[in-house]
Amino acid sequence: MQEIAIHTEKLTRRFGALTAVDEMDLQVVAGQFFGFLGPNGAGKSTTIKMLTGLLAPTAGRMELLGVDFAVHPVEVKRQIGVVPEGMGLFERLTGVEYLRFVGRMYGLDRGTTERRAQELLEFMQLADREKTLVADYSHGMQKKLALAAAVIHGPRILFLDEPFEGVDALAAGALKALLGRMTERGVTIFLTTHVLEIVERLCSHVAIIHKGKLVAQGSLEELRAGAPGSEGEEGQKTLEQIFLSIVGQSIGERTRFEELTWLT
Amino acid sequence: MADVAQMPGAWQQLKLIGGLRWHILRNGLRRNNNRWDLIGMIWAGFFSAVLVLSLCFVFYEGTYVFLVKNRPQWIALLFWGLFVWWQVFPIFAAGFGANFEFKKLLRFPLSMRAFYLLGLGYGLADFAALSSIAWIISMLAGAMAARSSVLPALLVVSALFVLLNVTMERLVGSWVEKILAKRRTRELFFGLFILSMVSLNFLSPMMQRYGRSAKPRIFEIIPYLWWTPGSLTGNAVAGAAHGDLRGFLPGLAGLLVWIVITSGFLWSRFRAQYFGEELGESGAPKAAKRRALRGGDSSELPRFISPQVAAVMAKEFRYLTRNGFAFITFLLPPIMVIFFSMQFAGKNSVLREHGLSAEMFFPALMAYLILILLSPAYNSFAFEGKGIHTYFMTPVRFRDVLLGKNLLLAALVVLELSVSVAVMIWRVGWPSPAMFVSTVAAVAFAVVGQLSIANWSSLMFPKKMEIGKVKGQRNSGIAVWTAFGAQIAIGGICAVILLAGKWTGNPWLPAIAFAGLTAAAVGGYTAALGAMDRLAEKKRELLIETLCR
Repeated sequence: MQEIAIHTEKLTRRFGALTAVDEMDLQVVAGQFFGFLGPNGAGKSTTIKMLTGLLAPTAGRMELLGVDFAVHPVEVKRQIGVVPEGMGLFERLTGVEYLRFVGRMYGLDRGTTERRAQELLEFMQLADREKTLVADYSHGMQKKLALAAAVIHGPRILFLDEPFEGVDALAAGALKALLGRMTERGVTIFLTTHVLEIVERLCSHVAIIHKGKLVAQGSLEELRAGAPGSEGEEGQKTLEQIFLSIVGQSIGERTRFEELTWLT
Repeated sequence: MADVAQMPGAWQQLKLIGGLRWHILRNGLRRNNNRWDLIGMIWAGFFSAVLVLSLCFVFYEGTYVFLVKNRPQWIALLFWGLFVWWQVFPIFAAGFGANFEFKKLLRFPLSMRAFYLLGLGYGLADFAALSSIAWIISMLAGAMAARSSVLPALLVVSALFVLLNVTMERLVGSWVEKILAKRRTRELFFGLFILSMVSLNFLSPMMQRYGRSAKPRIFEIIPYLWWTPGSLTGNAVAGAAHGDLRGFLPGLAGLLVWIVITSGFLWSRFRAQYFGEELGESGAPKAAKRRALRGGDSSELPRFISPQVAAVMAKEFRYLTRNGFAFITFLLPPIMVIFFSMQFAGKNSVLREHGLSAEMFFPALMAYLILILLSPAYNSFAFEGKGIHTYFMTPVRFRDVLLGKNLLLAALVVLELSVSVAVMIWRVGWPSPAMFVSTVAAVAFAVVGQLSIANWSSLMFPKKMEIGKVKGQRNSGIAVWTAFGAQIAIGGICAVILLAGKWTGNPWLPAIAFAGLTAAAVGGYTAALGAMDRLAEKKRELLIETLCR
């Protein structure tokens, strides 16, 4: 029987009159590379914040690796790694100091923390900025550091919110390979991004959220089979076509540049 | 192909920018905080106006008297005052934040000439400039009332003086801006600023000791300052008043030379900005020399402290060493002990025989130091920024986070108080053993008692602060009142118990009482930590939203 990494039941979050996430039932099997998609303001970040303990749900429940988050939050947090929307870095620490801090916060012993911090900095090509404050890192470097911090304790579920944004092609390639190897070892990766090509290349399963509601969930093949509309050049619907057909926007509606005649 | 038919003229550009400032102000008022700020500004404006108008009278009367009594050369003093005010005040104001970076306008097709004029225009809109102009107008009115024949010359000289000051102020301002744009230099600047403000406290005792002997030396220096703008302006006015062209023209020429030189430098600075000078922190700093990663976390802490608490302590220590203001907060106490001992106690005190004895000075000093050192604890998450996420993402209880913060602060308080006590003993002498032990026990009670309240305040009323900035860097109003109330209550209890030792004639009674109170406070603190864990969960969203904004 497959282990369930993430399971939510009627997960809801309201902000006053606005329901950002509406009774979401989500299921992610362990070891999946899971893409979580949605247009701006759909509720992606709210969902990821709830799943990582940064935001309390208004209603519903969630289990990670079979553990109820509301009952055993610390147990759950030991098993997960997170790259949140704003990266959540302490900007007045240097890169290596931040990794040491995070390693110790996860309860790693000093030797292990030190060794892993150095290996991660080397892997992320940040080793030569050992003494640079995080505040002085470029955006891409901060992203790489946030990723390093998210994996230092060897999490079983990794939540990534736009992880490749601002990361150079070289590091992004190495990272994608690393993430692929992690899923082979049974790590679940929960990824949100607006770059559909990345999801198409990396993810085995996808869920789409729109206006707070989960409107589609399944493997890429299942979504392709279920989605209406025309096929792509290679006889297969692209993820972009699937996404647009599900969230109710046709390409014709989206591109209104014909009207801006003074620009063209 | 761009549709821009023609470049707008300088006047049109100035009008557009005026409109932009108006829209920024009007739209800013949609936020409640900004409305309150506006009300605050109106109040500040009212009091500033009262100050400026009062001094208008001084400048009017000064000019009038100097001309009526045929001492026009003394008008140089008034110009000197104006010059110092105009140049020094904006530097202090700059530290408290410029609201609008006019360089941002460079994204629009501004001509270099319009950019330069705009720069000067902004200089004329400063408070220092407006007040100085008001005072110069008062001087003109004074001259007209006393001797109207001087007025044309004073008018010309004043116009040049205004132009020189605004140009120089913008030049200095642009350099200050360049310095403040870099984090490290900004922190250094603020550090020096605070230290210079503190050192002003020593002026009074220094003047009392060395004032008389220094006075003649100062008068000797004055003649050598003839080439400075204040003196040149004063000499030109004096020449005109005496009908002496040989006095008037050199002063005028000197002012013109100053204007040409400062304008040249300012043009060069603005030109650098106009052509895209990058002032801020570089997005991609120069590659550091690659070196082998040195092993070993320097934050070795005793084994009985959990890794999480130790990690928080190490992180807090690093933040402290990188936070100029906090660092200075910890530098100040020993300096203040020296200052207070010069003023109120010891053999060299200003009060001499009426000064405090060591018996009274010691507890009073400890109370003051606790007041300073524990204030940051009431908003202990202020500098976390987005890092606050880490506490909620990692498997750590908030009690460990607070414990780590409190332990580091307590260790620093012990260190600070030890240094301060050593300085006090050197300056004032020892208190009695009973008073020493009682006060130390009172300090322990006050620190532990306050930390429980401070932890609660930190979670309930967090307020974001940024390292290296001064503007808007204050705790929330409620946190300030909480700290104030707690300090008064605990200070009051300590004072009553210390005095009880005198009233009962038993000098050791306060020590015993404080030992009991400290034990109770430690129990209360430990129990409260668990409650803080739950409170942090409840306040999670408030903390993240407030600190990450």
